[in-house]
Amino acid sequence: MSATGRVAAGRVRAWLERHAIGLTALVTAGILVVMLYLPVGVVFVEAVLEDGTPTLGHFADVLTDPFYFGILADVFAEPLAIGTHLGSLAGWLAAISISLTLEYPLPGVDLPVPWLAVDTPGVRKGLFGFTAYQAALSTVASVVLGLPAAYVLANYEFYGRRTLRSLTILPFVMPGILVAVGFYAMFGRAGTLNGLLGTVGLGPYAFIETSPLAIVILAHAFYNAPLVARLTVAAWESVDARTVETARSLGASERRAFRDVVVPQLAPAVLTGALLTFIFTFMTFPIVLALGGLQLATVEVWIYDRIQRLDYAEAATLAILETILSLGLTYAYLRYESAQTGFARAPSPPPKERLVPDLRTALSPRRLAIFGYGLVALVLFVGPMASLVVGGFTDGSGLTLRNYSFLLERQLEGASFQTLPLPAIRNSLLFGVATLLIAVPMGVVISVLTARTGRSGTIVDTLAMLPLAVSGIVFGIGLLQGLVFGIPLPGGWRFQVTGAVAIVVAHAVAAYPFVTRNVSPLLTNLDPAMTESARALGASRFRALFDVELPLVANGIVAGAAFAFAISIGEFSSTVILASGGESYTMPVAVERYLGRRSGPAIAMGTLLLAVTAASFVVIDRVGGRYEL
Amino acid sequence: MRRRTFVGAIGSGAALGLAGCLTQDGDESDDSNGDPEPEELDLEGTLEVVTYESMIDGDNPAGPWLKEAFEEEYPDAELEWVQLPDQGIGHYINQAQGGQEIDADVYFGLNIDDLVSVDDNLEEGGLFRGLNADRIERSSRIRDGLDMGDPHDRVLAYDTGYISLVFDETEVDEPETFEDLTEAAYEDALIAQNAQTSDPGQAFLLWTIDAFGEDGYLDYWRDLRENGVRAIEDWSESYYGAYMNEERPMVVSYSTDQVFASAEGNDLSRHQIGFLNDQGYANPEGMAIFEDADSVDLAYEFLDFVLSNDAQAEIAERNVQFPAVEDEYVDLDDEFDQYAHVPPEAVTVGYDDLRGNLDEWVDDWAREFASQ
Repeated sequence: MSATGRVAAGRVRAWLERHAIGLTALVTAGILVVMLYLPVGVVFVEAVLEDGTPTLGHFADVLTDPFYFGILADVFAEPLAIGTHLGSLAGWLAAISISLTLEYPLPGVDLPVPWLAVDTPGVRKGLFGFTAYQAALSTVASVVLGLPAAYVLANYEFYGRRTLRSLTILPFVMPGILVAVGFYAMFGRAGTLNGLLGTVGLGPYAFIETSPLAIVILAHAFYNAPLVARLTVAAWESVDARTVETARSLGASERRAFRDVVVPQLAPAVLTGALLTFIFTFMTFPIVLALGGLQLATVEVWIYDRIQRLDYAEAATLAILETILSLGLTYAYLRYESAQTGFARAPSPPPKERLVPDLRTALSPRRLAIFGYGLVALVLFVGPMASLVVGGFTDGSGLTLRNYSFLLERQLEGASFQTLPLPAIRNSLLFGVATLLIAVPMGVVISVLTARTGRSGTIVDTLAMLPLAVSGIVFGIGLLQGLVFGIPLPGGWRFQVTGAVAIVVAHAVAAYPFVTRNVSPLLTNLDPAMTESARALGASRFRALFDVELPLVANGIVAGAAFAFAISIGEFSSTVILASGGESYTMPVAVERYLGRRSGPAIAMGTLLLAVTAASFVVIDRVGGRYEL
Repeated sequence: MRRRTFVGAIGSGAALGLAGCLTQDGDESDDSNGDPEPEELDLEGTLEVVTYESMIDGDNPAGPWLKEAFEEEYPDAELEWVQLPDQGIGHYINQAQGGQEIDADVYFGLNIDDLVSVDDNLEEGGLFRGLNADRIERSSRIRDGLDMGDPHDRVLAYDTGYISLVFDETEVDEPETFEDLTEAAYEDALIAQNAQTSDPGQAFLLWTIDAFGEDGYLDYWRDLRENGVRAIEDWSESYYGAYMNEERPMVVSYSTDQVFASAEGNDLSRHQIGFLNDQGYANPEGMAIFEDADSVDLAYEFLDFVLSNDAQAEIAERNVQFPAVEDEYVDLDDEFDQYAHVPPEAVTVGYDDLRGNLDEWVDDWAREFASQ
C-alpha cells in the first residue's frame, strides 16, 4: 500500500472513530423503527380508529368499565363529581376495622402468632387493579428472595460460586408451560416436596390449593428473583471498596459505612431489578392461569383473548394502557437514577470472605441465616427444575428413557417437515450469539447518549425501554401483520421481513434494554472528571468511551450481554411467528411443538434446553469473567 | 410472484375454453354443488396441507404416515405439510382480510367454531370452497351426527374426540349429572380449563350451555364456582400439572384418556371416564379446501383418501381420536376399543347456534369468572 493509501485509510479510520457513536445510534434507530415502532404501531393504531376515523371511544369504553378498572371506573366516568367520590371514600374508610388476634399459621403446628387483622370492606379492583396488586406482591417477593442471593454471591467465596452465579440465569429461559409443570411436580399434593416431608412423617399439604395467589407470586419470584440477584451482584462487584475504607478510616462503623457508602451504589441496581420485575409481572401471561386459574386473570390474558377473537381495537387499547403505565413507572425511576451522579472511579470490590472457613464460623448466626436461605432457594429454585427433569425420566411403571429415545429417533429419522432437536439447539445458540453482538452495541450506545443529559435524556431513555413495556402478544401480532404479511408499498412492492435475520433482530430489540439497564447505573455512577480529562487531553468522544468508561463498566456490559443471550435463548412469542413455516425454529419452539397428549417429549426437550443453556452460561461467564474488573 | 400470474393466466384460459365447450354459463351462480368434476383430473404437483402441531410433530403422529401412503397412491403428487401458525384460523382470516393470496390447498383440523369465526369476520361462506360431495365417494361413510352443520358445505369430519370427565375412583364416586358437581361431595374437586384459550375448556363450556341453555349456564357456573371449580389455562397444565400431581381428583379431559394412561403404565383407577348425563361433548375435526387452492383435484382426492379404511384407522390410533366413518368401514386394534370410551349420547352445539353467539358466551363466562 502506498503512503497516500495509508493516509487515506487512516483518514477513513479517523472519520469512523469520530462518528462511531453517531453511526451506531443511527443503526440502532433504524432497527427500532423497523422492528419495534412499525409492528407495534400497526396494532396500536387500531385503538384510535373506528372504521377509519379517529376516535377515543375505545379508551372511554375500557376506562369506564368496572370490569377493567373497578371502582376507578366511576371516577373515570365522571371525573368532575368530586363530592360523590370523596363521599364514597369516606364511607369506605369508616368501614375499616382493625383487630388483634392469635393465629396458628402453620397447619398442625401449635405455634400461636399475634396477628394484626385489618378488615377492609371489599374494593372492586378490576382487572387492572388486580394485575397491579399481584405485580406489586411479586416484586416484593422477588426482591426479598433475590437480595440475599446477591449478598452471598458478591461477598463470600465458596466452592462452585462462579458456576452457581452462572446458573442463576436458568429460570429466565424456561418456557412458561415447563415452569408450571415443574411447580406442580414440586409443590403438588403428590409432588417432590410432599414426598420429602412424608419421609419425616409430615403432610401431605395442599400448598397450591391453599393459596393459588401465593404460588403464582412464588412462580414470579422464581423468574425474577434471579434477575434482581444478577443485577445486584454486578453492581456490588463494581463497588469501589476504597470509598468504604475511606469512610471507615474516618471513623464510620461497619454498618454506617455500608449504609452510607455501599447502599447508595447498590440502590440503582436493586430498584432497576424491582422495576423490571414489576413490569414483567404486570404483563405476566401464561403462568398466572397455569397455576392460579382464571380467577387470577390479568390484563394480558384479556389481550390474548381479544387478539384470538380478532378484536384488535380492544386488544390495542388494553395494551396501550399497559404500556403507558409501564413507561410512566420507568420514567419515574429514571428520573431518580439520573439524579444519582456518583464519584466512583474504578471497581475494586471488597474481598470475598470464605463462606465456611472453619466449623465455629459456620455455626455463627450470620452463616446459619445464609444456610437457611440456601435451603429456601434449594426448594424454590432448584426444586421445580429438578422435579421437572426427573419427571422426564419416569413414567407410571418407573424409570424410562422413552422420552429421550423419542428425541434421538426424531433426530435420526425425522422428516423435513418435522422439528428436529439438533437444528433447534444450533439455531438457539447461533441466534443467541448474534443477538448479543447486536444488542450490546445498541444498549451501550443508548446508555452513553442518555446518561447525564438531564430531562431530555431521561425521556429518550424511557422510550428506549419500550420493548419491555409493550405486551409481548401485541408485539407478536404486530410482527405478523407488519413484517410477515408485509406492508404494501406503491408500485406493487411489498415490504416483508421474516426468517433468521428477522428473528435475531427481534431478539436484539427485546434484549438491548437489559444491556442499557445494566450499564446506565454504572455509567452515571462514574466520576465525570475522568472522561473530561481524557477529552481535555485530546481523546475523541469514542476514544474516551472505549478506553476510559467502558472498561470501568465492564461488569455491567458482561451482565447485560448475558441477559441478551438468555433473552434470545428463551424468547418464544415472536420467534414462533417469525419461524413459522421455516427451519429457523429454536429450542423453546421445539418444546411447544413436541407438546401433545403425552408431555414426556416436551419435558425431554425442555431438559435439553436447560442443559444447553447451563453449559453456555458457564462458558459465557468464564469468558466474560476475563473482561471483568 | 411472476410464476403465479402465469399459472393463473393459463388456468383461467383453460376454464374459458372448457366453458366454451360445455356452454353452461348460468351454472356458476349455484355454488352449493361445489366444484364440478372435470373430465380429466390433474393429479400432478404439490398439495399443501395445513395442520396443527401434534398431527406432524408430536409423538407418533399420523401426518408422516398420511404423506407416505398418499404419495404411494398418487405417485405424481407430493404432499407438503404446513404447520398451522400460532394464531390458528385467525392467521388465514387476517391474510384474507389483507388481500393476501393463501398458498395452502387444504386445511386439516378445522373445528366448527373456526368456521363460525370465518363467517363472522369474512363474508358468509368464505375462505373455503363449497365441496362437491359427489367427488368424494367415501363421504357417505361418515357417521350421522358428525355432520358439522355448515350451511355452505365447506367441511367434512375426519375424526372426533369426546370431552368427558376423568376422575380418580379412589377419591370420588362417579358424578352422574352436572348438578352433582355442585354438591358438597365434589367441593374443590374439579379442574376445568379456560374456555378463552383451551379447546377442551371451550367444549366443556358449550356442553353446559347445551345442558342449561343460554339463559341458565351462567347460573350453573356460579354454583360450580362456589363449589370451588378452577379454570386453568390449558389442557397440558391442567392435566400434566395439576391432575397428575394429585392436586384434585377430577379433570375435564378426553374420553380416550385410558389409551395414554395404559401406555404409560399408570394405574387406571385415576383414569376413570365420567360421562355427565350419560353424554360426552363431541368435538369433530374437519378438513376443507381453500378457495384459492391451486391443486383442487388433488385436494379432492386427498379428502377421499383420508376417509379410506387404513387412513381412518391410522389417524384414530396415532391421534388417539375416534374415526369419523361408520364402524364397518374401519378396523381398529382391540386395545384401542378397550381403552377408548364412546359416550352413550354425543352432544355438540352446531354451527347455527354458535354463529354470532360464541364470542359473547365465552366473554360473559370469562368476565363472570375473572371478576374479583
